[in-house]
This record gives sequence, structure tokens and C-alpha cells, in this order.
Amino acid sequence: MLGLASISLVVAASVIIGVWGVRAARSTPDFLVASRSIVPGWNALAIAGEYVSAASVLGLAGLLVKNGVGAMWYAVGFTAGYVLVAALVAGPMRRSGAYTVPDFAEYRLGSPRIRRMCGLVVLVIMLLYLLPQFKAAGVVLELVSGIPYWIGVVGAGLVVSSTIAVGGMRSATYVQAFHYLVKLAFVAGPAVFLIFLAGPERREAALDPVAADPDWAKPLLDLDGSGHSLLATISVLVATTLGAMGLPHVVMRFHTVAGARSARRVAVNVIVLLSLFYLFPIVYGLLGRVVTPHAEETDVVPVLVPTAIAPGTLGAVLTALVAAGAFAAFLSTSSGLLLALAGGLSHDLFGGSLSKLRLGVAVGTALAVALSLPAAGVDINVLVGWAFAVAASTFCPLLTLGIWWRGLTATGATVGLLVGAGSSTGAAMASAVLDLEPGVLSILLAQPALWTVPLAFLTMAGASRPGSVPDWASEAVLRLHVPGRYSTGDTGAIPRARGTNRLDTAESAD
Amino acid sequence: MRAANAVNQRVRVTSPQTRLAQRRGADAMGRLSHLSGRPPLSTLSAIDLDAAERAMRRQRRLAVRTAVSLAVALAALLIAAVLTPGRLGWAVLFFAPYPVLLVLALVHVRRAERIEDRHTEDRP
Repeated sequence: MLGLASISLVVAASVIIGVWGVRAARSTPDFLVASRSIVPGWNALAIAGEYVSAASVLGLAGLLVKNGVGAMWYAVGFTAGYVLVAALVAGPMRRSGAYTVPDFAEYRLGSPRIRRMCGLVVLVIMLLYLLPQFKAAGVVLELVSGIPYWIGVVGAGLVVSSTIAVGGMRSATYVQAFHYLVKLAFVAGPAVFLIFLAGPERREAALDPVAADPDWAKPLLDLDGSGHSLLATISVLVATTLGAMGLPHVVMRFHTVAGARSARRVAVNVIVLLSLFYLFPIVYGLLGRVVTPHAEETDVVPVLVPTAIAPGTLGAVLTALVAAGAFAAFLSTSSGLLLALAGGLSHDLFGGSLSKLRLGVAVGTALAVALSLPAAGVDINVLVGWAFAVAASTFCPLLTLGIWWRGLTATGATVGLLVGAGSSTGAAMASAVLDLEPGVLSILLAQPALWTVPLAFLTMAGASRPGSVPDWASEAVLRLHVPGRYSTGDTGAIPRARGTNRLDTAESAD
Repeated sequence: MRAANAVNQRVRVTSPQTRLAQRRGADAMGRLSHLSGRPPLSTLSAIDLDAAERAMRRQRRLAVRTAVSLAVALAALLIAAVLTPGRLGWAVLFFAPYPVLLVLALVHVRRAERIEDRHTEDRP
């Protein structure tokens, strides 16, 4: 009951901050990117808040207990992705003045068809990413309150979609910044407590996994005992590092900062926030191996650890805090994802008004809820890994080549996207449906990024015929890299007051 | 100056991007200048264009260098974690990567900004 109460508190606080942040979402740009009036510090917090999802709060610790310390390579990849975001994407994307990845594709390649294709890819990635979030909400609610899984999932869907439909991105930014702090406090606080409460014996056991189980302590990620752990680790690293770069909801965030320079700096700040956060799944994972070695659903290990270490009231209070932190992770990530999904549905696929955008949120939630009911048995990190693999095989090459190489054509991008999306989703689906012997093939299907990413890059570049590069392509690319008045919104100034429209002042200042 | 005249008035403001979104089917060239809301680069002199070109090449070199460094760093971390014996192996994986990643990103951002500054100084 305590757990349910703390979760309700987080939800209530989110709704209040959301309503406070609304200040009337008037037009599509308001709704989608908060009319660019979000201050950089908030933005980094919001990106981290949205990015530290159920996969990080629950999934990492769970996978650590289940598969061994190598699970932390996921965290390394999640963070390393932001080095590439800072280096390859953030600045130029901001200068392009496009809202979403499909917008960018249309800007760069001048083809409305490619925009719709990108819209479809956004849908696939966002849905794959939403599933594990709803799964997390369902299992946590089930654990702390006994509510059946499906009711928890449906309820979570209602809460998220209603907060977003009212406020849009502006409210989402503040809500997500708040959620990063909630997550850090509610995951880190209990972790520190638990280290003390565990006592010297269990601490010693947790810190010496090598003695107990050398296989578990091997710093490589072995997927279901395939025996090719180095291959699996590298493929996961490729997927997470390159996937972070192509995640539509992350890329979209950079449009809410003042200019290209702050966009890059925001990416660096995100690395700091993520590094700080990823210290704590380690605590739950190491302690969890000692105190909850036989958990059936490893994805809830962080919620199980407190009561296993400290039975009684203290344990119950700590459990409630962790559960609230996990729920905050679910809320923030899924609201960011739903916004991008709604953007994809209405803005890119149907060309849209605000009401269509709101409808998009509702439709997206319904889809994700429906799909997450049968996904209850799949590990959170496996699902998230697929979303990253698809992003790495589609938008990563599209953005990299589109930003840095003027030879990319609409045809090349179309073929490349088809091949990348087809091969990565196909491999993931095959690995979910087929029951393969653990081995090289099963790894290459379950973690396809290692071969699908190069494949997508090669087809995208190979199918771009040099002769068919239009005259304006050169200008479209140059504009992304030149500071000053020839690029959009690159004023460099930090917005001072909320409520004034920065685009307008920037325009008249020139 | 428009903004100063309309201090206390609530105006529905649409950005150039919104206008773009509302007006579909524009031709490619029109889309470019509408999207950015800025003068087209083709109004630049040959010298300016040349400087822009150079700035872009520098940024691209830097980006490639950072991406390669990241790959090398991750490979080195992987090797270090596997080769370190006993307890320290997983400690390397838990704590070593993040400072490395942060330094890579910081160095990149500083260099990228320096390239931009140089471009701006060249062409005031």
C-alpha cells in the first residue's frame, strides 16, 4: 500500500507540474518543441530524465542479476551514444531548423515521400521502445499493490496520455526534469541506505562475485549462454551507441535549445547526468545477486532488494521509494516517446493540426498498451535493445550521411531505410518467434546491429547515384555547419524570460 | 523591431517552420529558404562560400576523428575489462568508461566551437 501511495504522489506531482508548465499549448510548434524557449540546464535534465528509462532503473539491475556484470555494457553504450550525438548530430540538427527526423529528411532530401517513410520508422522505433516501459509499469504496480498486470498497464497508459494531451512538450520538459531528480533521489537514496543495512557479510559477498561465480563475474555480456560473449558484447555496444544517435525523441529534444552551440553542450551535460545515474543499478545488481538470487521476474529486482535486506517498516518504506522512482522512469520516458510517436503519426504521416496531434497521443498509447500485454515475459533490456538496433540501422546512417555527405540522395536514403528497417526488425522478430539454439546465429538475430548497421550505411551510400545529386543539396548541407545569420535559429543567446517568443525576437533582431 | 511595438498584445506567432508545415507541396528551393527563414547562401560572395566550405570540412574532419577515438576507446575498455584479473575486471567496466566518454565529448565540443569562432572571425 505504501508503494501505491508513493507512486500516486509521483503521478500527482507530475500532473501538477505539467499543468503549471502548460501555459497554453497554442500551436503545433508550442506543442512539439515548446517554441524553443526551454533553458539549456532544464533541457539536459529533461533529456536525461526521458532517457533514463525503465531499462536503466529496473532492466540493468535485473539483467545484472540474471546474466552477470557484463550487463553494464548496456549502460556504457547508452552513455557513449551521447559522445556521437555531440559530435555528429546535435549542432547541425539544431541548425537545420527541422522539428523531427522526418522534417529533417524532407529538408535535406526534398522529398515528401521520404518524410512519410521516416514517419513510419519513427512509429516502429517508438513502439518497440514503449513496450518495455509499459511492461515495467505493469510489473512494478503488480508487485507493490497486487493489481493485475493488465490493469496496471492500462492505468499507466491513461495517466501518461492524459498528462501529455493537456500539455505537450513544454509541460513534458518540466515534468521530465522533475523525473530525473525523482529517479536519482529515489534510486540513489535507498541504494546508499541498503549498502549500510546489508551488513559486512553480505557486502563482502556482493563485492566478491568472482569467488562465488566466476562466470557471472566475467565482464562480458553473454546472451543466454551462447558461448560467444565477446561477439554479443560488441553487438550490444554497436546497437546502443549508434542507436542513441538515431532515437527520434532524443533528436527532437535538441530543437528546444537556443542554438547549435547550446545543443552540443546539452549533449555533454547529459553524459555527466547519465554517468552519475549508472552508479546505482550496480548497487542493486550486486546486492540483488546475494539477497534475491532466485527472483523469477528479474526486472523487478531493485524493488525486491530493500525488503530482502531490511524486513519490516524500513524495508517497506525503501521499497515504496524505489517503486516510485521506477514509476517516474516509466512516466517520463513514455511521455517523451508518445510525443515523438504522436508527432510521427499526425505531423509527418497525416500533416497536422493540434487536435490530430492529441489524437496521435491517444492512438499511440492504445497501440503500446495493447502490444505490451503479450510482451510481459520478455526482458526489458531485450526489448529496449531492439529499439536501439532499429534506430541504429535506420536514422543513424540517415542523419550521419545526410549531415556530413552531400552525395546522399532521396533514392539512396529510401533504399537504405528500407534495408535497415527491414533487416533489423526482421532479425528481432525472427529471434522472438524462432526458438534457436544458442550460438552465433542466435546472437546475430537477437542483437542484429553488428551487421544491419554497416549494411544500411552501405546501401544508403551505394544507392545514391552521384549524377542525381540536386544543385541545392550542397547548400542544404553547408547551411548545417556555418554559424551566424545564414543558419536557422543559431543566435547563440540563451532565452531569458519564459513566455516571450524567441523566434520572433531573433527574426526582428537581424 | 516588430516585437517592441507589440509589447502588451497577445499575438499568435507562427515560426517559419510552422508556415512550412502548413504549406505543403512547395518546390524544393522554396522549401529551403522558407525552412530556414534566412537569406539563401547563394547570396554569398565566392569568398564567403569558400570560407563556409572550409569550416564544414574542418568540422567533418573533427567529427570523424572523434568517432574513431570513441571506437578505439571502447575497444580499449573492452580489452582492459577482459584482461584485468579478478575483482578489478568488473570494477573497470563499472567505473572507467564514463570519465573517458566525458573527456572525449568535452574535447570535441571545445574544438568544434573553436572552428566556429575562427569562421566568424574570418567573415565578420
